[in-house]
Amino acid sequence: MATVVAPRETARSVARVAACALWGLESAMVTVEADVANGLPHFTIVGMPDAAVSEARERVRAAIRNSRFEFPLRRVVVNLAPAERRKEGTGFDLAIALGVLRATGQITRDTDALCLGELALDGTLRPVRGVMARVRRAALAGVSTAFVARENAAEAAALGVEAFGFASLRDVVEHVEGRARQAPSPAPAPAARPPHAVDLADIGGHETPKRALEIAAAGGHSLLLVGPPGTGKTLLARAIASLLPALDPDEAIVASAVHSVAGLIDPERPLLGARPFRAPHHTASHLALVGGGSPPRPGEVSLAHGGALFLDELAEFSPSVLETLREPLEEGAVTISRAGTAATYPARFTLVAAMNPCPCGHAGDPAEQCTCLPDAIDRYHARLSGPLLDRIDLRVHVPRIAYEELREDGREPSRAVRERVVAARERMRARLDGTGRRCNAELTAAEVRRHCRLASEAETLAAEAMRGRRLSARGFHRVMRVARTLADIAGRDDILTADLAFALLLRAQA
Amino acid sequence: MIAATPRDANYPPRVLALEHPPDPLWIDGDPAALATRAVAIVGTRRMTAYGERVARELASACASAGVVVVSGFAQGVDSAAHRGALDAGGRTVAVLGEGIALFVATVRGRRRPLVPRVRASGALVSQYAPNFCAQPWTFVRRNATIAALAEAVVVIEAGERSGALITAQDARRLGRPLFAIPGPIDSSASVGTNALIASGQARALVGADALLEGLGPFVRAAIGPPADAVLEALAAGPLDFDALARRAGRGRAATETALATHLLDGSVVMTRDGMYRRA
Repeated sequence: MATVVAPRETARSVARVAACALWGLESAMVTVEADVANGLPHFTIVGMPDAAVSEARERVRAAIRNSRFEFPLRRVVVNLAPAERRKEGTGFDLAIALGVLRATGQITRDTDALCLGELALDGTLRPVRGVMARVRRAALAGVSTAFVARENAAEAAALGVEAFGFASLRDVVEHVEGRARQAPSPAPAPAARPPHAVDLADIGGHETPKRALEIAAAGGHSLLLVGPPGTGKTLLARAIASLLPALDPDEAIVASAVHSVAGLIDPERPLLGARPFRAPHHTASHLALVGGGSPPRPGEVSLAHGGALFLDELAEFSPSVLETLREPLEEGAVTISRAGTAATYPARFTLVAAMNPCPCGHAGDPAEQCTCLPDAIDRYHARLSGPLLDRIDLRVHVPRIAYEELREDGREPSRAVRERVVAARERMRARLDGTGRRCNAELTAAEVRRHCRLASEAETLAAEAMRGRRLSARGFHRVMRVARTLADIAGRDDILTADLAFALLLRAQA
Repeated sequence: MIAATPRDANYPPRVLALEHPPDPLWIDGDPAALATRAVAIVGTRRMTAYGERVARELASACASAGVVVVSGFAQGVDSAAHRGALDAGGRTVAVLGEGIALFVATVRGRRRPLVPRVRASGALVSQYAPNFCAQPWTFVRRNATIAALAEAVVVIEAGERSGALITAQDARRLGRPLFAIPGPIDSSASVGTNALIASGQARALVGADALLEGLGPFVRAAIGPPADAVLEALAAGPLDFDALARRAGRGRAATETALATHLLDGSVVMTRDGMYRRA
């Protein structure tokens, strides 16, 4: 409920309205101050507005007039405080208009609600992007009410603040003045879990690739599928969406906020119901993959936060674009720096990549002869740098399979595998409780030592792994994390030889 | 680099068997490497993993027996043979189809690091002037020189129209013993070699001993049959894990542990394609 402050006088010379600025996912509360003074008719906005904010003058002037209010023929100055950071976008229109109306006494009460919305020239209130991130910031700053466009109401209400959706500037004023009060929007239900495009039961054979997929889904380990064209790599990768557990409530808010900034949410059901699955095309640019631009928008790595990022035809991506994946794979976030602004987006995703074994796709394929020269195959693989491959925990070949295997019965449906994945995640969460990390892929080196206890029978193999020089210390830690996930899937506390052996098999030498 | 003419003392004597011996023959390295016992190991550029392993192991066996490995420094089987000989600490001679200086300046990829090693152990040889540019026909004539430089010729893998088959015909014309490695009958990389065996033009080579015995008394360095089910299953070429477990026939769990042990001791490596092959 908006707190109503008793008017001290009909017109205040300086009116204040709360708004929120957004840079990427980073946001800060902004106080919109409006001052109306005697002088030649003039309207300026100060406080480092960008072009879109400066143009608010024209929209606000027209919207006020066309909502049957009066735009003052005096000197109007609007300041966006703090004035030191650049403000972007059209979300300040509503706050500026309310400030002008309050300063001229056409509104007689102050409001402490967060006001977000773009104005049409006829006074209609239009939705803006990134409402969720801004309302979240406002809630943290103690603001409990939000005025937004009707289309944004569900998004604002999803975070537990009292959100009011309005159709026009006039409606907002009637509400603030208490003449026609609106009811707050109810909190929306999370979006329904979409039906899965691919179920594991749709895929025949491929026992090891399926198992690798289960490990990736459970522990968040990155996975590379290599195989000739047409053997089902893409189908397998897409099946990971059916194995991932549901989003935790706090993950859902962060993931939905990223989608909100990118303008990619269903306005009615703004909270994501399922973990995102993003599959950018291999022609994707830096901007598309890691985000950026002005104003900075989240890229695919951030849209995949909490879910899976699928890169099909990995070697066809531009090598420099692939290199940009190293930071998010390591840090779980990307920072995009521009002159004047730096935006940080979350980017913790499970990487699933697929590629052909060579340019023609048939190296090692018994059904067809490869026509590539050895050097051409080398160049193809050299597109993936060592540091990038080092961050891929699981590498598995997806072979061409015989017709008999395709018909084999008793395939395990995704639902059954997901139950194991959910149980394994439960064990990981209990172990990592309070650290902010959720799955085994995120274990630190110290945690690997603490949590990856080997059964005595597995010591022999582990000793052999550490003694040999084929595995670096970092490589060994990565193997241990995967072995930990295998034990978690099996519901065991100790890591057995079988877990360690399988983890070793899937670890490629970088 | 020297240019040896047929009248020079350091001109490799076996090359004189050619109807038109190259005049001059450019040699970058040790001319003596061209006069000792030598075997040519040649094959297709588009080799399979099987071809690579056989070329490497055969070259390594020759090198251990003190036999120089002669080949054409092409991608594929040729390079595998040179590398096999060098890794075993042996000597190898590369006969180029273009000028030596041009080749050394332009070669890229995994052959580049081999150049100094070949020069240090044996020699780079060419019948073309140092900056002569390769043409389709220069390789045909180079193949005859390879056959002439060697005392026996082994074709590892050759497709239907592989240049290695030209070397094979040159070997027959020069009376050099000709061997071919039998391969799967449905592998296009073995069509040419299998045809050489089937038509009786080449002897099927099933081990390094048969080759080395033909040259005289040598230290035996046999390619032995593997004792282990996993290594056995991988003998024909790389496999993915599911196929390996089926082929090894010991159950998945046992295969997993055995394979992990082999990966750690280096007898098996994972390929870039996520398959497993013998090192």
